[in-house]
Amino acid sequence: MRLLLVEDDPRTADYIVRGLTEAGHVCDLLRDGHDGLFAATRNAYDVIVADRMVPGLDGLSMIKAVRAAGIHTPAIFLTSIGGVDDRVEGLEAGGDDYLVKPFAFSELLARINALGRRPAAQEQKTALRVADLEMDLIQRRVTRQGQLIDLQPREFSLLEVLMRGEGRVITRTMLLERVWDFHFDPKTSVVETHISRLRAKVDRPFDVPLIHTVRNTGYSLHVPG
Amino acid sequence: MSETRSSLLRSTPFRLALTFAFLFLLAFILSGAVVYQLMSASLARQLDQSIKETYSLIAATYSETDKEDLTTAVKDHAQFSQDKDQIFSLTDSAGNRLAGDFTASGLPEGFSMFAADLPGVPKGTEYRAYSGTVGNSNLTVAFSLSETDDLEMIVLMSFGWGTLFISGVAIAGGAVLASRVQRRLDGIASTMDDVSHGRLDARIPLIGSGDDIDAVSAQVNAALDRLSALVDGMREVSANIAHDLKTPLNRLQMILESAADKTASGEDVSVELTDARAESQQINSTFDALLRIAQIEAGARKARFVDLDVGPVVETIGEVYADVAEDDGKSLSTSVVPDTKWYIHGDRDLLMQMLANLVENALRHCPPGTAIGLSVTGDGSHVLIHVRDNGPGIPAGEREKVFRRLYRLDTSRTTPGSGLGLSLVKAVADLHGAAITLEDRNPGLGVTVSFPAVRAPVA
Repeated sequence: MRLLLVEDDPRTADYIVRGLTEAGHVCDLLRDGHDGLFAATRNAYDVIVADRMVPGLDGLSMIKAVRAAGIHTPAIFLTSIGGVDDRVEGLEAGGDDYLVKPFAFSELLARINALGRRPAAQEQKTALRVADLEMDLIQRRVTRQGQLIDLQPREFSLLEVLMRGEGRVITRTMLLERVWDFHFDPKTSVVETHISRLRAKVDRPFDVPLIHTVRNTGYSLHVPG
Repeated sequence: MSETRSSLLRSTPFRLALTFAFLFLLAFILSGAVVYQLMSASLARQLDQSIKETYSLIAATYSETDKEDLTTAVKDHAQFSQDKDQIFSLTDSAGNRLAGDFTASGLPEGFSMFAADLPGVPKGTEYRAYSGTVGNSNLTVAFSLSETDDLEMIVLMSFGWGTLFISGVAIAGGAVLASRVQRRLDGIASTMDDVSHGRLDARIPLIGSGDDIDAVSAQVNAALDRLSALVDGMREVSANIAHDLKTPLNRLQMILESAADKTASGEDVSVELTDARAESQQINSTFDALLRIAQIEAGARKARFVDLDVGPVVETIGEVYADVAEDDGKSLSTSVVPDTKWYIHGDRDLLMQMLANLVENALRHCPPGTAIGLSVTGDGSHVLIHVRDNGPGIPAGEREKVFRRLYRLDTSRTTPGSGLGLSLVKAVADLHGAAITLEDRNPGLGVTVSFPAVRAPVA
């Protein structure tokens, strides 16, 4: 993917660019909000990663301007303010996701991947399928090898998020936000507990495990191998 | 600064008093001048009238047949006025005196002024005269101005003394009043001086009169109370932060040193790296929680408050944590009366976090086998959320302290946790105007958060 990073702290920028390059992405780095806006309107990027506090034009205003120019490239805000209002402000400005510094690089990468591969046209899928696991989004039924799996509503949402991100890493935080609408870090093993319940229903009765733990980061649903 | 304060002329109350005294004096002098003008004009008019009357009286004695009458009348009048207050002159057409005190020469017909040097009166006494022709002689009646001058002088003198007296009273009174106000202002200034030098317990003395200065002083004192409470809180928190962050920082440093040693000898350091990461995450999440609490307390979030039903929020938390509790050997049951709405004015995200913290608090500090209950009740004006457990509870003396930042019961020092969970609960509750009560359930702890209820929003 081709990414635009607007970040003025050289060490953070260097760390992110190195990581993204290793992950196979092409990354343009700019240190100023005005330059960022200029680049975002001239080139076609897959994802924009913008620090909220950069010189020139701050990140929020930059994304607002990009949106005003009719460009809908997905954008992630990086914020070190750690504020309770940052998420809402970021979304209101036209951002698609936000990440509070300091963050693990794997978290940023997972979020970039999730945004970048989002289908451009929001086509309405009615069913999801990974190998022999099928999810009927209309009847809200899940079957594997033709056997019906009985899931609680939250387990259904959890599996849906994992299946939609097939093959990609979904971090703990992303699951907390998307499945439970938790915008804070619980101190107990909420995610682990529910993943283990889901595994007991979706993976354990069958030969091939589909839900995989990605150490220190999160989970990924895919056919092993 | 003290020089400025002691300088009387720079003091606002004294300036006000002085300005007021000056304006008052100005008004007094102006009105006095007008009165004086009117009075002296009236005196002059009265004098002219008397002169004219006397003249007419004397002139009336004249008749063609008996010229002696006129001469006699002038003589009589001149005789009556021994002190030469009124003087008379009667001359024939050639200017020879026929009768009277003096010979009027060169005076025009009608009213005029002149100064006369006559025996028996001070030199240069001023006279007001009326001259006219009676038959073929000239009659002049003149009255001295000394009486009018005396009157005018008395008025001027009393006016002058009045002005002096009033100035004295105004300046002295103003100074007394001003210095009283100034003393109180100085009191405020010196209190603020003390506060700015770090004596946060200094308060402005009140005189108890309930006037505006007292009211402002009371407000400043209230602000100082709040400020010193905040500073005390900050001091305590800073000390706790220093203490609580030093421990993981020390551990982090030890881990990194050990990793550096191992690297030097070519050993694998993956365990150290994982440990270091965990420690730094712990430090980070403590900071994060502190920042969040500070931001919640700052109150900006309130702008996003909406009317919402807390039932589903409580149910979601119950649902999320029931399995967590079960895996932990405990149980969590949720009871929300179905089809009943519990509306409050609030922020869903913050309420979720508050409830999650309360439930996690119970999960972390209770032994396996504990039953935790989550429920919502209402009494019309309030919506009450209860989190109850039958665990070890909190000793009565500690109940207020557990909401302080970084405060931890001695019994829980060894369990993981930042000591910030309940502070955040308190911050969220305060933001919502909700009261938290802790009760002993013998055994166990009951936490009740009581929110002001709002009417269901119109759909």
